[in-house]
Amino acid sequence: MTVFRRRLLLVALLVVTAVVLVLPVTLTPPAADAGLDPESLGIDFLVNKSILRMETTIAMFIVLATAWNLIGGLTGYAAFGNVAFFGLGAYTVGMLTDPERGHLPFALALPLAPLVPALFAALVGLPLLRLRGHYFAIATLGMGVAIGEVIKNIDLFGGSTGLFPPIFRRADWLFFYLMAGAAALAVATNWLVLRSRFGYGLIAIRENEEAAAVIGVNTTLHKVAAFVLAAALTGLAGGIFAQWNSFINQENVFPIEYNVEMILMAIAGGAGTLFGPLAGAIVLESLILWLAGMGGEVAVLSQIGLGLILAITIIFVPRGVVDFFGGQSALSLAHIRRSLRETSV
Amino acid sequence: MTVPLLELEAVSKRFGGVKALKRVTFVVEEAEILGIIGPNGAGKTTLLNCISGVHRIDEGQINFDGKQINGEPPHMVARLGIGRTFQIVKPFASMTVRENAAIGALFGSSRARMAPAAAFAWADEVLALVGLASKASFPVAGLTIPDRKRLELARAVATRPRLLLLDEVMSGLNAVESDQALDVVRRIHQSGITIVLIEHVMPVVAGVCERIVVLNFGEVLTEGRTQDVLDDSRVVEAYLGQKYAKRLRQARGEPDQDR
Repeated sequence: MTVFRRRLLLVALLVVTAVVLVLPVTLTPPAADAGLDPESLGIDFLVNKSILRMETTIAMFIVLATAWNLIGGLTGYAAFGNVAFFGLGAYTVGMLTDPERGHLPFALALPLAPLVPALFAALVGLPLLRLRGHYFAIATLGMGVAIGEVIKNIDLFGGSTGLFPPIFRRADWLFFYLMAGAAALAVATNWLVLRSRFGYGLIAIRENEEAAAVIGVNTTLHKVAAFVLAAALTGLAGGIFAQWNSFINQENVFPIEYNVEMILMAIAGGAGTLFGPLAGAIVLESLILWLAGMGGEVAVLSQIGLGLILAITIIFVPRGVVDFFGGQSALSLAHIRRSLRETSV
Repeated sequence: MTVPLLELEAVSKRFGGVKALKRVTFVVEEAEILGIIGPNGAGKTTLLNCISGVHRIDEGQINFDGKQINGEPPHMVARLGIGRTFQIVKPFASMTVRENAAIGALFGSSRARMAPAAAFAWADEVLALVGLASKASFPVAGLTIPDRKRLELARAVATRPRLLLLDEVMSGLNAVESDQALDVVRRIHQSGITIVLIEHVMPVVAGVCERIVVLNFGEVLTEGRTQDVLDDSRVVEAYLGQKYAKRLRQARGEPDQDR
């Protein structure tokens, strides 16, 4: 019975995913030419520009939360400044595609978006990853803020005005697919890491760094590598965002809220798990977008709500919702159900 | 002449003004079980941290298999073939017993570093050796203290070391548990691993070590065959104080001022 229900749930999830991924095809120019646009098909309540925009945003946060999972969830280093990598990726694309600076087409600029933040992470990772706990969190938070401020104050990078990558008209579907691809890449990276010796090394570091070192884990190399991978994926999302938004400045690509949100999503969903950050990103970003859509006081109150969710999750389900439904910890629903069954026999 | 497995030459370590180790010199021969004993604060754990690369030594030299290892980071020392346990066990708490041991085999010495499938198979063998096979799938949180000590041993053995440094594996165990742990240590030794056993509890050392080094205030007080060392009144004095040593000497009819 439970196996059947689990299968049913899996099938339903796959169908929803397939629908979400396939429907935007109707927004592509060839489909429009063939008369297969959403309006003539009568499905414009399922797929339209604003829905696609929301889905693209959710995919972006899947990338951010899943990338954060590598350093924060698996390695146990609470990086609070990953937005620096997002901004660096965005500015890489912004600079390279700018009509007065790089003149490169977006297709050539995008592959460089992960590289610049990755190099930066390797550079700052060596000193930063010597810090632990709160010190690391604060240092990375500082890094995130500082990079944005530096870029804002250099005219070469557009100063406080920002940069304007050339606008792609009627290309919402393109950015949706790019962002969904980045999300798939981020999840695939996590999957590969979780199955590898490298992944076990990261978890060993999280559990006890000294013990990990004396059984032969090169802790510095592992930590920096995880940080660099997270930076590359985050930077890729930033690069796509720059072209999608076609306007970037310090405020929209270095927002501190993104740091909090990506961590909140990963932790609420289940830090250190494969699908936890993905689930957290889908649920919480939907919630955030819905609340923000209400505007006014609700939007402000929603920020307080997010803080409450973070506090409640950390106190009551520290290992996230994924663990809550299927896990071992004493506070998980699965555990409570198991013990109820055992006592009732 | 064969090279000893581990050589310490005049190793010194300071923490600020405190001299934790003062020109410590001794050797560990291949295939022996060497005991290192000493009262609290004698520098036993510091010595172990220096060998395993956790601390950097200030003076002297440490050679493993004829090659200098002081200055190497801990993971390199592990890769060369020196495993260790911690007095206060440091398990990977979110993992199962089997995963803990397997991580040792995934990394560890250059003889280990197995692929995941092989590492888990080897982990099962090691768990059988230390007597944890029946609890392989337990989460660490479900283990008793003696079992956590076994797990600490298993993870270190899984790294396939040539030399294993054991930091007070019997501490916190009762007499029966301590005997069982000693059996495990003997089995590990029989599997071909040289062992350095750091202990506070004398009978433990006497039961298993052929040779003993005594540390006191960071210095080697004496070293030699187990029985000779335990009979040495200076060792008794270091542990139990002058008064007791004096009584012991009187009881044996020895002269009073043989220091």
